[in-house]
Amino acid sequence: MIASSFEKFIQFTVDGLAAGSVYALLALALVVVFRGSGQLNFAQGEMGMFCAFIASTLYLSGVPMWLAVIIVMMVGFVMGVGIERFVIRPLEHKNPGGVLVAAIGLFLLINSLAVAIWGVDPRGLPSVFPSAPDDFFRLFGAAVRWEEVGVFLAMLGLLGLLWLLFTKTKVGLGMRAVANNQDSSRLVGIRVGWILAIGWGVAGAIGALGACLLAPQAGLSQTLMLGPFIFASAAAILGGLDSPLGAVVGGLAIGLIQNYIIGYVNWLGGGMVLSVVFLIILIVLLVRPTGLFGSTRVERV
Amino acid sequence: MLEVTGLTAGYGPVQVLQGIDFRVGDGEIVVILGANGAGKTTTMRAICGTMARSGHVSFAGQELTRLSPDAIVRLGLAQVPQGRGTFTDLSVHDNLLVGAYTRRGPEVDSDVERWFEVFPRLRERREQKAGSLSGGEQQMLAIARALMSRPKLLLCDEPSLGLAPIITQDLFQRIGELRTEFGMSVLLVEQNANLALKLADRGYVLDTGTIVASGTAAELQSDEAIQAAYLGV
Repeated sequence: MIASSFEKFIQFTVDGLAAGSVYALLALALVVVFRGSGQLNFAQGEMGMFCAFIASTLYLSGVPMWLAVIIVMMVGFVMGVGIERFVIRPLEHKNPGGVLVAAIGLFLLINSLAVAIWGVDPRGLPSVFPSAPDDFFRLFGAAVRWEEVGVFLAMLGLLGLLWLLFTKTKVGLGMRAVANNQDSSRLVGIRVGWILAIGWGVAGAIGALGACLLAPQAGLSQTLMLGPFIFASAAAILGGLDSPLGAVVGGLAIGLIQNYIIGYVNWLGGGMVLSVVFLIILIVLLVRPTGLFGSTRVERV
Repeated sequence: MLEVTGLTAGYGPVQVLQGIDFRVGDGEIVVILGANGAGKTTTMRAICGTMARSGHVSFAGQELTRLSPDAIVRLGLAQVPQGRGTFTDLSVHDNLLVGAYTRRGPEVDSDVERWFEVFPRLRERREQKAGSLSGGEQQMLAIARALMSRPKLLLCDEPSLGLAPIITQDLFQRIGELRTEFGMSVLLVEQNANLALKLADRGYVLDTGTIVASGTAAELQSDEAIQAAYLGV
């Protein structure tokens, strides 16, 4: 049976949105940190990968998968807070450039730590969503797996939670204030250090979720997050780096572009896909230097 | 209320404040006058804990030099920083809420309403980004934001900066009214000596990190030597 071109288009779109959801999650994590401290956390992907391995260990010792994901999200939170307090902050006072080096160092450290603990053989991680071969439904002839739907909804749910956090809670107000003006935040009594640490913690939790959603399809290994992290940072930049909505739109856009290119322009090798995605981002940034949703500061004096 | 003795502060090897003494009494408006570079902003930052300092700052019986900025705010001391410190990306309403960050409870909302009564221009622009307000509006917002913490002492760092004289006059009149209405004390630093001395009860003159003169507002206003030497009149 030869699939109709419309059927193909739907299939690429569904797969693109599912892949894009994971990029969007990781991009959200990057944006939350960037808004607070202006840092791109290079270790974000590895932190998530490490948490996914912990989830796998928990699952193998009998913890249900959904509970394992919740536990490692908390682990990710603690990990983020700890890294901010004990690695990033002491350095930031002395040398802002050192933070970048520290993040790359953390990347390598966490990666080799994962090799040391869990070895190099890839392992499977069960999905929290129905993922048996026949867990799908047909949409205009295209196969939509329930797992893909679940990943997409989980990402939207998380975006909603972040929106609630930022707009309806005091911590969220503090996070927006610190993102905007750290000096004034101190003067109104905000503990800026803690707010930044909480930002890293939230990002750590989101990263853990992202890795746990990705691993069932991609296979859990130390290289799990390398590609997705590159796509996610591209997504965050495309969205404007300080906008959660931008991160999601950016992530989905990159997932779609990637799948359309693989589907329609299949003579381009896998490596070339990456280049084309970046070419598109470059063009967008030339037209809109602040990204799709980045804030242009309105300021009168 | 506030008792400062032997306060020194500086940036790295450069010592800006050479050990200054002054005090602000209950319900008093005190102004520190001085030219650019005299150390006025450094004084404010040293009190609020946003820079390293030594000496003694006693406020309501507490020693402030050992406390962090957020702990100082919690004690009831609020600062309107130089340049207004507006949260430009936040709405006017959120700017006020963030001013009450150290408080909780339903009274926060009624306080927001109160400052909207006092400054109707802010109510009109409630959902607008604060960065889009004019300079005078931002100064009103900065004062309202500081008052949201219900301070016992309000510190204002050069509120007249960048404002037209007529707006400064209006602003100073408001500060005077707020003192009478809420019984708080105000410490003001200013270059604009004439306007500030009309508002203040007492004043100090700061020159290169040292207090060179002090007295009641009337005394400082009538002392021609001080006026000529330090206040550029």
